[in-house]
Amino acid sequence: MIHSFQPRKAVSAGMIEKTLRVMRIGSPALTTACQHLPSTTALQQLPMNPAHYIALVTYILAGLIGDLDLSAAEPSQVDFTSQVRPILQAHCIECHGGVKQAADLSFVHRDAALAVIVAGQPKESLLIQRITSSEADEVMPPAEHGSPLSVTEIQTLTKWIEQSAPWQLPWAYEPPVRSEAPTVSTPEWCQQSLDRYVLARLDQEQLAPAPQAPPSQWLRRVTLDLTGVPPTPKAQRSFLQKVSNEGQTAYQTTVDQLLKSPSYGERWASVWLDQVRYADSRGLGADGRREIWKYRDWVIDAMNKDLPFDEFTIKQIAGDLLPAPTIDDLVATSVNRLTQTNEEGGTDDEEFRINAVLDRVSTVWQTWQGITFGCVQCHSHPYDPLQHEDFYRFAAFFNNTADCDLNQELPLLSVPLDPADNEKATKLDRQIGALQQSIWERESTLVDSRDGNWHMIDQMLATSDKATKVEVEIREGHAEYYTVDTVSSNTEITLTVSLKPDVQRLAAIRLTIAPGDPAKAKADSEWGFVLSHVQAAMKTADGASNPLTLTRVIGDEAKPFKNPDDSLNGKTNNGFAAYSRIHYPRTAIFVLDSPIDVPKDSKLEIKIRNGVTELGAFPLIAKRGYVAVSDQPIFNLLLNDPALVKDRQTLTARQAERSKIPSSRIPIMMERPDHLRRPTHVFTRGLFLTKGKEVQAGVPAALPPLPKPDPETEPETKPANRLDLANWLVNDKNPMTARVTANRIWARLFGIGIVATEEDFGSSGEPPSHPQLLDHLAVQFQNDFQWSVKQLVRSIVLSSTYRQDSKIRKELLERDGQNRLLARGPRFRMPAEMIRDNALFVSGLLSPKMHGPPVHPPIPGGIWKPFQGGDKWKTPEIGDPNRYRKSIYTYTKRSIPFPMFAAFDAPSREFCTPRRLRSNTPLQALMTLNDVTFVECSQAFAKTLQNVSDELEPRLRYGFLAVTTREATQSEVAALESLYKKCRQEQTNELDSLTAIASVLLNLDEIMSK
Amino acid sequence: MQREDFEQQITRQALEARTRRHFLQNCATGLGSLWMATQASAANPASPGHDPQNPLSPTPPPLPAKVKRVIYLHMVGAPSQLELFDYKPELNALDGKDCPASFLEGKRFAFINGTPKMLGHQYKFQRHGESGMWVSEQMPHLSETVDEICFIKTMQTEQFNHGPAQLMVHTGATQMGSPSIGSWVTWGLGSENTDLPGFIVLLSGGRLPRVGKALWSSGFLPSVYQGVQCRSQGDPVLNVSNPEGVTRNRRRQVLDTLEQLNRESHQQFGDPETLTRIAQYEMAFRMQTAAPEAMDLSHESADTLQSYGAEPGKESFANNCLLARRLVEKGVRFVQLFDWGWDTHGSNQSESLNHGFRNKCSQTDKPIAALLKDLRQRGLMEDTLVIWGGEFGRTPMRENRMGATMAFMGRDHSPDAFTVWLAGAGVKGGHSHGVTDPVGYTPAENPVQLRDLHATILHLMGFDHETMVVPYKGLNQRLTGVKSAQVVGDILS
Repeated sequence: MIHSFQPRKAVSAGMIEKTLRVMRIGSPALTTACQHLPSTTALQQLPMNPAHYIALVTYILAGLIGDLDLSAAEPSQVDFTSQVRPILQAHCIECHGGVKQAADLSFVHRDAALAVIVAGQPKESLLIQRITSSEADEVMPPAEHGSPLSVTEIQTLTKWIEQSAPWQLPWAYEPPVRSEAPTVSTPEWCQQSLDRYVLARLDQEQLAPAPQAPPSQWLRRVTLDLTGVPPTPKAQRSFLQKVSNEGQTAYQTTVDQLLKSPSYGERWASVWLDQVRYADSRGLGADGRREIWKYRDWVIDAMNKDLPFDEFTIKQIAGDLLPAPTIDDLVATSVNRLTQTNEEGGTDDEEFRINAVLDRVSTVWQTWQGITFGCVQCHSHPYDPLQHEDFYRFAAFFNNTADCDLNQELPLLSVPLDPADNEKATKLDRQIGALQQSIWERESTLVDSRDGNWHMIDQMLATSDKATKVEVEIREGHAEYYTVDTVSSNTEITLTVSLKPDVQRLAAIRLTIAPGDPAKAKADSEWGFVLSHVQAAMKTADGASNPLTLTRVIGDEAKPFKNPDDSLNGKTNNGFAAYSRIHYPRTAIFVLDSPIDVPKDSKLEIKIRNGVTELGAFPLIAKRGYVAVSDQPIFNLLLNDPALVKDRQTLTARQAERSKIPSSRIPIMMERPDHLRRPTHVFTRGLFLTKGKEVQAGVPAALPPLPKPDPETEPETKPANRLDLANWLVNDKNPMTARVTANRIWARLFGIGIVATEEDFGSSGEPPSHPQLLDHLAVQFQNDFQWSVKQLVRSIVLSSTYRQDSKIRKELLERDGQNRLLARGPRFRMPAEMIRDNALFVSGLLSPKMHGPPVHPPIPGGIWKPFQGGDKWKTPEIGDPNRYRKSIYTYTKRSIPFPMFAAFDAPSREFCTPRRLRSNTPLQALMTLNDVTFVECSQAFAKTLQNVSDELEPRLRYGFLAVTTREATQSEVAALESLYKKCRQEQTNELDSLTAIASVLLNLDEIMSK
Repeated sequence: MQREDFEQQITRQALEARTRRHFLQNCATGLGSLWMATQASAANPASPGHDPQNPLSPTPPPLPAKVKRVIYLHMVGAPSQLELFDYKPELNALDGKDCPASFLEGKRFAFINGTPKMLGHQYKFQRHGESGMWVSEQMPHLSETVDEICFIKTMQTEQFNHGPAQLMVHTGATQMGSPSIGSWVTWGLGSENTDLPGFIVLLSGGRLPRVGKALWSSGFLPSVYQGVQCRSQGDPVLNVSNPEGVTRNRRRQVLDTLEQLNRESHQQFGDPETLTRIAQYEMAFRMQTAAPEAMDLSHESADTLQSYGAEPGKESFANNCLLARRLVEKGVRFVQLFDWGWDTHGSNQSESLNHGFRNKCSQTDKPIAALLKDLRQRGLMEDTLVIWGGEFGRTPMRENRMGATMAFMGRDHSPDAFTVWLAGAGVKGGHSHGVTDPVGYTPAENPVQLRDLHATILHLMGFDHETMVVPYKGLNQRLTGVKSAQVVGDILS
């Protein structure tokens, strides 16, 4: 009786599913039913059979009796993942989950659930009391939220609590385990260890694998997968020869050769660039050009060098924090600068800086951890063990970099165009950096030093021009000016400072510029300031005004975006700045060329011109400030210290030398100095204007902790930084990185991942089709292969699984249309780039040139209407190799995707795209039939065919072979022959007739498919 | 009991995974409806119920629908509601006075800084039609059709910069990468004319909107549902013309041979995608004649051309309105017009209320009125919905960019209240929904969010916005986003 009730969930799910298949879409009632499946609503929709009825009655009676014999449960161990979590998910989590935590109770985390569970004591556990309660206002779940739990479900929970309520994380949060290779029916079929896992599953399903693919079919598949282009007829012939001579060895040597091809890096870089949203433009408001192709080249080279995936990760996440980073290490960090910026007038830089930081967080989770972290921005994860605060702890890793949505994309790195210059440039950069730091450190000791004997000012007048109003108040004992209300661009503020009688000499002036609202700005920064021109004069009692000569400005950071000394140069708008935001008061010292005597009753007049307006809307004005003066002679002494003078000269010389190296300037990651660190706050409900508590960088508790600081070299209290994060991602204990990466590679080779939802390894994604296989690949990749992607790829493409024939048997099509069981070889339409590159390759047009700035192959007229007119699309002339470069080098503009790519499902790269869809549309047909590039390809291919032979048939056979890597059948040749003859009969010349043939060949389903 | 096969097993597991998500209704997502669940899985958001060979084949909506087709007129840059439809006599009384501090508290602006001055209506308003709707003198032709129109005066958005705000209007998200309304609808319903794209975009005003194609992107839906930009000049659809020297007859021969060979590969590999590809090539061949024919205005009568102010061969908003009528007449599902040039800050002559704005009004007033009348005359109003609007509204304050007095009259961006109107199937004519405060700055009654508008459009087309979802990146994605949205019942007829 009870047993008939027990499989309720499975039965109702199955029944509803079947009902649906019959019923077609649309009944609103059924819609509700599915939403609440399994629920009372669902059950009410379905006819209740007598067994259910009796079970329900029994259950109600049992409830009335009030004391079920709970101890009668079987003694076996309850499994949390397969038995308990499904019950909690189905009945409890809607109200007691990550988002809604009614009565502060959540069943997502064990700690929280223990509020109602007394481990080992079910009867004492409120959970059991409530689900078995007979009181209508007590029983859980409440009637309006769903059906009561079944007796079996109650028994399961009871037994589980008796067994002390052990908890398990969702599968992806548990580390992959190495398993014993399963026993299989035909061990000799398995050429690689992974094959056992595949075959074991096929055995279980009583399916035989497909026969091995003909050698040509495998060669085509592997050549396309590893190099992005098909084998030439010559390569095909030579492979067949090798197979007949060497047998299996031929496969291995071919793979090794292909892995060495430079095209390998280009093919696999393209996969990575989708993850990290690579584009050559900035996105959003104006989508201007962004020079960052050096990063794309770095990825291609990293793939070709087989840079182990752990290093590949560390360099990208935190290359700038490595000890003594090279130019290449810094280029790798550009990946984080592929976020969108908004250059539209009137946009808040802080808002879009934060958007970029949050996107970095989401992209790292998506790309390395296969988890959609974005929802944790607003609330705790609804069903995965990730807390709201985790998001911001994670964001703190990225929140202190110097970039801030500036139109100039600062900070930038000059990357030598010729990699041969990298070593020299790295050396110079290190020298320059060290000099800048040491010079600043020596000079800046004066900023707050007691040696300065700074006199604070308590009497000051402030005036301004334009519509800006200023007033003066006394704050903490000193006079401080501040602007009121509207501030105008180019405002000049004049401060007239009364010097106390004890100031008899003047050697330096210290200006401190503070935010308008200093208390609030630390968390909610304000627009900053640029002191474009600062002048000072001594106004004596007799009314004379004597200009002072200021020689040097010492700012409060070692490597500012803007040179403080420019404040003394009236011809630029640059100078000492908090650019473009201000969190804390900022201080600069203006040093006189030599100290002067202060006549009695003199006043110091300081004029500050604020010349910068950000985004055509926001005047960067020093909104609040105060002054101190020094009478000490040490400034000039120090500035003229011979060692410092020499260092400054050396610095200038090194900088000049560095600027002579021809370079591409690209945005990179760089940390802000500690004293200007931005605090990170939780955003209440995800809104950046409502900041909650401050948090420190860290990782979610559900995952292994960050590696501990090295006690030898680091203080135990060292705050975690991006480098710690990077190490954590590739740490042995991280359960996700290796799985997600192996799954991605698998998916590109087989067309679908072992976890089909590559982007979601969490509880809402699809479970892996072969969990043990995934773990096997992950463990192999991480340990045996030491993160070598090439070794992983090699093991897969040499497997028997991959070598199967891709012919789809009819019975298999019905049973497993997506080939999840892997009972045949992969066959699917290739991605956009490969389709284009293939056409160029077989027609002989493809340029082998690698690397370099993006290129502009032909596009139809009228497409290129960029928002910014200066962004030109200059198509190279016919014959110029840049017209026929590999697709990966095409300029990627987010707002105007390259039409061919857009038609073939390439993403426009605004955000991480874990996998692409594959659609099949008439616009694709128009593209490959009529687009200029494809037309040029068919014309070039026709000429190739002409040169093959004087006879028609060899021409046709060659063409077919070049495109499909297989010999044409007699009827295929006949079809082409008939077309050719028709063309000729209609007076079309030989070349044009062959062009028609070429056009057919370049549009074959087989050329689109691998 | 028969063991479930692998496909079923995976589907069931996926379904179970999804059922675990139903608790998210109020905060993050609703569960995929049955409608979605049977058609799309997280691994494969295939099209709902379309013929596998034709992803645009027409499919009935899951719920009763009044609207079959949509023409969406987007005035890019955000037209001033205060110079068109939202009449506020009290604003005129405040003209030139300092903006009260209460209007500025807690607000962020694109360009206004400090305390700006209030700015009265720049044009006269009058009541029109039997319904007595207020319309400014800048829309004399449209004024004649107000009894067809349902105004929403209290539309709100979360964005006050053009790029993100335009994305909000069309995709419900502030960042690039989500499907636009047209893509959702075409995905859901297919198109009644399979020789033309189901979702067509027409541009005027000389510039592409800022975020470009992201406004008609298919986002995470298959690319077949992306908007296709059609043009009055050059190829009406990209690559629709044969290359030079290739006749239609030759193309037919090539396609016949191609089909023959593709059928052989299908024999060899048994891949159903091959058959789909054959069907796509045939559709492309038909599109080669259908698209130029649809885009050719030269056969329209002189009267019609004159009523719209259309001139064949030109790129203009008037031509696009007439094209929109032709396209919906042919069964195209969603026609999206973008007209550039409505960003009236007052920073230069063309972007000012006293100059550029008048030109924009005169370029659009007559064609829109003609479009409404034409649709009515041809009986198309019975199942076509026309929507007009910008991406946000404009402030009742005069802009004071960089703290200075501007050379021309202009208003800054204002996200809290703007006017959008609808006309045609399923909505009340001569009706106004929502009331703004006495200066037209914020809603006083019945605020409407963009997601409510989206929910309403979907409702009119036969969808429940909560169940029209696609699982992507761990979330059941929907046009209306994660916050709760309501169908605006008051505007439905």
